[in-house]
Amino acid sequence: MSSCCTVLSPHEQRILEEQQGIQNFAGRERIYDILNTFKAERPKIDVERAKYFTESFKQTEGQALILRWAKAMKHIVENMTVYIDDHQLLAGRVGYQGRYGILYPELDGDFLDLALEQMPSRVESPFNISDADAKVVIEDIAPYWKGKTFHEALTAALPEETLKYTYDPKDPLKSRFIVNETASFRSSIQWVHDYEKVLKKGFKGIKEEAQAKLAALDPFSAVDTMEKKPFLEAVVIACDAIALWANRHAKMAFDMAKKEKNPVRKQELLDMAERCAWVPENPARNFAEAVQSQWFTQMFSRMEQKTGTIISNGRMDQYLYPYFKQDMDAGILTEEKAIELLECMWLGMAQFIDLYISPTGGAFNEGYAHWEAVTIGGQTPDGCDATNELTYLFLQSKREFPMHYPDLAARIHNRAPARFLHEVAETVKEGSGFPKLINDEEVVPLLLAKGASFEEAYDYAVSGCAECRMPNRDTYTSPNAYINFPAAVEMTMYNGKMKLHGDEIIGLQTGDPCEFKTWEEYWDAYLKQHINFLKQAFIQQHTIINLRAKHFAWPTGSALHDLCMNECKDLHTPVIEGGIDLGYFEFMGYGTVIDSLAAIKKLVYEEKVLTMAEIIEAMQCNFEGKEVIRQLLANAPKYGNNDGYADEIGKALDLECVKFTKKYSKELGVHLDLRIVPFTSHVPFGKVVGATPNGRKAFTPVSDGASASHGADVNGPTAVLLSNFNTKNLGYRERAARLVNIKFSPSCVAGEEGTEKLVSFIKTWCDLKLWHIQFNVINRETLLAAKKDPDKYRGLIVRIAGYSAYFTDLSPDLQDDLIARTEHTSM
Amino acid sequence: MNAKNQVNKKMGCVFNVQRYSVHDGPGIRTIIFLKGCPLSCRWCSNPESQYAEPELAFNRNKCIGTSECFRCSTFCAFDAISEAADGKISIDRQKCTKCFRCVAACPSKAMHTFGKMMSAKEVLDSIESESMFYARSGGGITISGGEPLHQIDFVEEIFKEAKRRRIDVTMETCGFADWEKLQRAAGYMKSILFDIKSMDPVKHEEYTGVSNELILQNLQCLREAFPDLQIFVRTPLIPGFNDTEEDIKAILTFIKDMPNVKYELLPYHRMGQQKYEYLDRPYEMIEEKLQDETYSKLQSLVSAKREIH
Repeated sequence: MSSCCTVLSPHEQRILEEQQGIQNFAGRERIYDILNTFKAERPKIDVERAKYFTESFKQTEGQALILRWAKAMKHIVENMTVYIDDHQLLAGRVGYQGRYGILYPELDGDFLDLALEQMPSRVESPFNISDADAKVVIEDIAPYWKGKTFHEALTAALPEETLKYTYDPKDPLKSRFIVNETASFRSSIQWVHDYEKVLKKGFKGIKEEAQAKLAALDPFSAVDTMEKKPFLEAVVIACDAIALWANRHAKMAFDMAKKEKNPVRKQELLDMAERCAWVPENPARNFAEAVQSQWFTQMFSRMEQKTGTIISNGRMDQYLYPYFKQDMDAGILTEEKAIELLECMWLGMAQFIDLYISPTGGAFNEGYAHWEAVTIGGQTPDGCDATNELTYLFLQSKREFPMHYPDLAARIHNRAPARFLHEVAETVKEGSGFPKLINDEEVVPLLLAKGASFEEAYDYAVSGCAECRMPNRDTYTSPNAYINFPAAVEMTMYNGKMKLHGDEIIGLQTGDPCEFKTWEEYWDAYLKQHINFLKQAFIQQHTIINLRAKHFAWPTGSALHDLCMNECKDLHTPVIEGGIDLGYFEFMGYGTVIDSLAAIKKLVYEEKVLTMAEIIEAMQCNFEGKEVIRQLLANAPKYGNNDGYADEIGKALDLECVKFTKKYSKELGVHLDLRIVPFTSHVPFGKVVGATPNGRKAFTPVSDGASASHGADVNGPTAVLLSNFNTKNLGYRERAARLVNIKFSPSCVAGEEGTEKLVSFIKTWCDLKLWHIQFNVINRETLLAAKKDPDKYRGLIVRIAGYSAYFTDLSPDLQDDLIARTEHTSM
Repeated sequence: MNAKNQVNKKMGCVFNVQRYSVHDGPGIRTIIFLKGCPLSCRWCSNPESQYAEPELAFNRNKCIGTSECFRCSTFCAFDAISEAADGKISIDRQKCTKCFRCVAACPSKAMHTFGKMMSAKEVLDSIESESMFYARSGGGITISGGEPLHQIDFVEEIFKEAKRRRIDVTMETCGFADWEKLQRAAGYMKSILFDIKSMDPVKHEEYTGVSNELILQNLQCLREAFPDLQIFVRTPLIPGFNDTEEDIKAILTFIKDMPNVKYELLPYHRMGQQKYEYLDRPYEMIEEKLQDETYSKLQSLVSAKREIH
């Protein structure tokens, strides 16, 4: 395989060595022992959380929702099975040993029974469930939730007109993937807690705060009695619940230690027992307690609600650093021990799978997707560089033990130290696609423009796949719309119809495009469809924002938020005084739309090489026998090449979006900004769109993120960045993340010289103020081989819009899609 | 010299502009490939660079096939295009007048023109937005070919315009040109990529069509006349031609006492093979393969020499 012209990335090298039985475990015996307990196993569904949550809810009907939620959490932790895993140094899993997922019937319990039947055979992210557990779901859980779930309420609340863009009229379980809501398969958008608060105060401190507030309530005030009191009581119960849960682990660890014969393991268990008895109830006293406390908090949070893309980890290299430094200075911690503890956490993350019951959720998160972003680097609240010795350990861990959990995000700013940039580049070269980079030079000014203070803006944490959160200032939790704009192109071509849906008129009837005499007429018709989609998305969002607080509460998440505690309001409340509501809507298929419009403008109206009728006819038959037309379209100007012709259209599309949200967001009380970051969902969205005027065949994936259409970017990665820059409307603040994927073959970045060039590339990306970038350093041959022989390449990690997954976990569809992406090689 | 000639001298024949090039000169660079070369190396990976004039290329894989498309033939006034046995087309290169109407007609870009006449301004305009990457990486533009010195007037125009826009320039040369041309170009550069293919004049002539004397002499002159110029001497390592210790040692000895010279081996690859097919030209090195062991052995020889310096 190896030859002088082929350079393998270290990641590929490792997989190759693993195939040949050469594994280098040195210093990581414990970590590999844990890994071997669950590797390559299909995830199982654990029903305990859903069972006890439902049991409790049956008992608390009529009470305030947040109180019911806190009581349900307490009921769960009193009754659930507690585990201490072999070899592990951290305690706190919330389901079966091995890879597992848990259920949230409050979201989609109305069709849990139905979904369970399909779950093991589903192509995207399949799960197993035992017969006994399935019985519990079907008999004890699902029946209670019929008629009560958010999903049903949303379906009932949406106006007829909006519904037809949202769900299949025959089956409301099925998304139409046109204007797609994402609120019914998760109870919050991505989020990050203020973990530092837990480490410093402990839940005991937070509980005492709530108790003090309770004591100070005005007994004659209706609001205090009806709103604040249940909120504060819920906080107290939640704080007790998490402490109780930790203590059950302490007891178990202590009991296991008593029976343990191996003196080394015995001591480890005793240490664990001590830690679990102390945190997260009390403030952490050392690094190990800080890590354990954070882990309990995030695992409890995972049980508490289904946060989109899994709860994020915040700025770990910042809030853990004081404990790291203190222990290092005291000589009771080594870098090796610190890394081992963190990797114990990564292994815990790897076993918890973000389980989506609805087929829509599953399609959105293929390959057991996860974005529990760990943020490193960036700036301190007073604007200085924030990197420290711990920052480098996160990178080192990622290089030496390249698991696809957690999602590592490095904040880059224009004074980032050379060592940091260099080590980031070295880690990227490792080949697992980590870290993704987020640009302070774009994010910080935007946060300021949206109302944050400098201190808050400098202290943002990456959250989810590309978003940024200020944990005590952000207050927006409603999941947002994903808008399939290539479908708007189709509707323009077919006068309101879509190929997939035959004669059904879904969109606006903007006229027969064959009658349009000028490009301007065509563009106007497209814009009508485009703006109508935006309108439907905002109607969805209006409904979702107002409905969610009736269905979801978040005691712990609220307890950790300054503003929620001040106002005594649950985080899901539509308006929290002092908060900044940062939401978005997603532009799906950005490249597909630009390329389609550019082809029509050029070939029909400027060069007059093709007629509109010819293009429509060719689209109708999916270009069968129309290869001449398809090729003409496919060779028209394309986005992603720093080509002014295409980029001008991209900028105009961006402008229409930011103008719309500038006008209509305010009345919703939130920022619904333009985001161009779809993850794996460009595949399911592509499946509903017929052939498009960029020469794309029917039902194939649309372009992903702010990337070019597959294979369309022929001018290399610098042109990809420049096209991104060219198509932004910098005068507007109404933009959120844009995701850019760059795939390099290892030869592009080989050696010290390659590292330097990658660093320069990253610096220029920073200069260009692009929000996000991630790299995939891989050989095309490796991907092809992995597709052919998945068993040999189970460990192969690849980068897909916003996350890494094991390549072989992906459907053949998505594998092809990855392979089709332009590989930037430079011979 | 009349005005028309003046204009023409400022135009050049460019066959490719390759962005994000990281293996040809310092930093992140854009390579401007110019047509025309005095050498005809058997292994040449850019066969489309050899002739000075624009050429017609045909990529069989991209051709839709005559069952659906025969547009190229329709547009050909000289009956040079006919149907091939495989259902695609074939070009009668004798009849072809290089009017390139078939290129404009081809929907799939199977027909392609290698070589476009451009002014220096057009070249710089097309790449100036990349200058952010040059600035951060210490990169710039690299003029390659073909042999850039073959179009020295055009190269000088590009260099002047690049200087004006504060863009760093370098050049990749085979060294086979009048000293005067090389001297003109060298004044604009901080570094240069200079090929030494073999020290053996007979073998050199056999494999490249010219002897190496002028090349070696130019390198000597360049070093002496431009002591501050960083020279990267590069040797394409070609199986059966120069992939022996003797060959490489001879080159290393030649450059041993040159202080401003760095040396690099470029392993042979066959990536250019397809382009011979596009041009209906035979590729003579189909069977050749550079052995991994050979490459690593010679590479370590080079590294060892570097240590001594």
